[in-house]
Amino acid sequence: MPKLIFRLFLSFAVFVTIFILIQQYVKPVSFGENGHYRANALEDNLRKTTYYKGEKACASCHQEVMDLKDSDLHAEVRCESCHIPKIDANTKCEVSPPKMEGSIEFCATCHATNPARLKKGVPQLDINEHEKGKNCVKCHNPHAPWELTEN
Amino acid sequence: MYPLIKPFEAISGTVQEEELETIKEDLPLWGMGVDIEKCVGCGKCVEACKTENNVPMEPFYFRTWIEHYTVNNDGEVAIESPNGGMNGLEQSLDKEDIFKAFMVPKLCNHCTNAPCVQACPVGATFISPDGVVLVDDTYCIGCSYCIQACPYGARFMNPITKVADKCTFCYHRIKQDLQPACVEVCPTHARIFGNLRDKESDLVSFIQKNPTQTLKPHLNTQSRVFYNGLSSEVR
Repeated sequence: MPKLIFRLFLSFAVFVTIFILIQQYVKPVSFGENGHYRANALEDNLRKTTYYKGEKACASCHQEVMDLKDSDLHAEVRCESCHIPKIDANTKCEVSPPKMEGSIEFCATCHATNPARLKKGVPQLDINEHEKGKNCVKCHNPHAPWELTEN
Repeated sequence: MYPLIKPFEAISGTVQEEELETIKEDLPLWGMGVDIEKCVGCGKCVEACKTENNVPMEPFYFRTWIEHYTVNNDGEVAIESPNGGMNGLEQSLDKEDIFKAFMVPKLCNHCTNAPCVQACPVGATFISPDGVVLVDDTYCIGCSYCIQACPYGARFMNPITKVADKCTFCYHRIKQDLQPACVEVCPTHARIFGNLRDKESDLVSFIQKNPTQTLKPHLNTQSRVFYNGLSSEVR
């Protein structure tokens, strides 16, 4: 074998070895376990706070409100659609109750007239015509909207 | 692929690629259905997504957002999304001028052939074994190639972590048998989340009952977000 070719093979082998050694050193621990990514990143994505607790968690204490809600038109609406979620799971509702923005504009995000949401089963109102300036919750019970209070 | 990444393990044969394939079969395959016929554009999903995933409340940073499509009588399409629809959407045109109007919630489509995964130079974005496209926060170098590669515009640079961010189907929630935050708060059940491999799930029955479509099917991304009532105006 000519000396030149031997040197070429030798340097090639040296470079490949160096590359593999560097790769072994630099590569993250779980890289390539499931594919071309760090498998531990799956667990990293799980390490997050769950703010929204779900209807089941609400029903564990407030079953009577759930029954009232299921009896009327807001049966499909979930608790946390309107109630801002609790930040900490261990905080009791009595200590920091889930907040609720009971304004006309809040109800209007679903119920104000908009041609894009007609015929979708959501009642539409012109908030400037229907009982102008009066808060919706004065007459309507938000959990059961057709349970009207006389005012 | 595997022997290239881990040459030594491949030789000793600790994990075989066939084994990985069989593990995948038992795992769920997550997907979402969006019913445009039910969406009222209240913006609760946008707000819930931002709260749940610590996305800055300013505009421009959205993991999910709602687009308000208005087709006027001349056939011109106007697409609005003020603040991603977080504060509700209002119609600016008169009722007489409108030919058609509807709302389209958008999110990451969790493609089977994801262009963002192919574009990532470091392997920081990947498809998890249960079919969710995720970002590795600690490994991302913030080159934003994936943001350009995404045909749906579903990715953005998070100003806090300074890396690419996107919808994860609330991966931390679905592992606890909870639904993603946007599905949890939707007042009209316009979003349906479920396992595509489970024939009993709500999502599969939604797809079976309704003529569903995916966004931009011509790109062959094979996305796993299925829209019912999708008009041809939607881009």
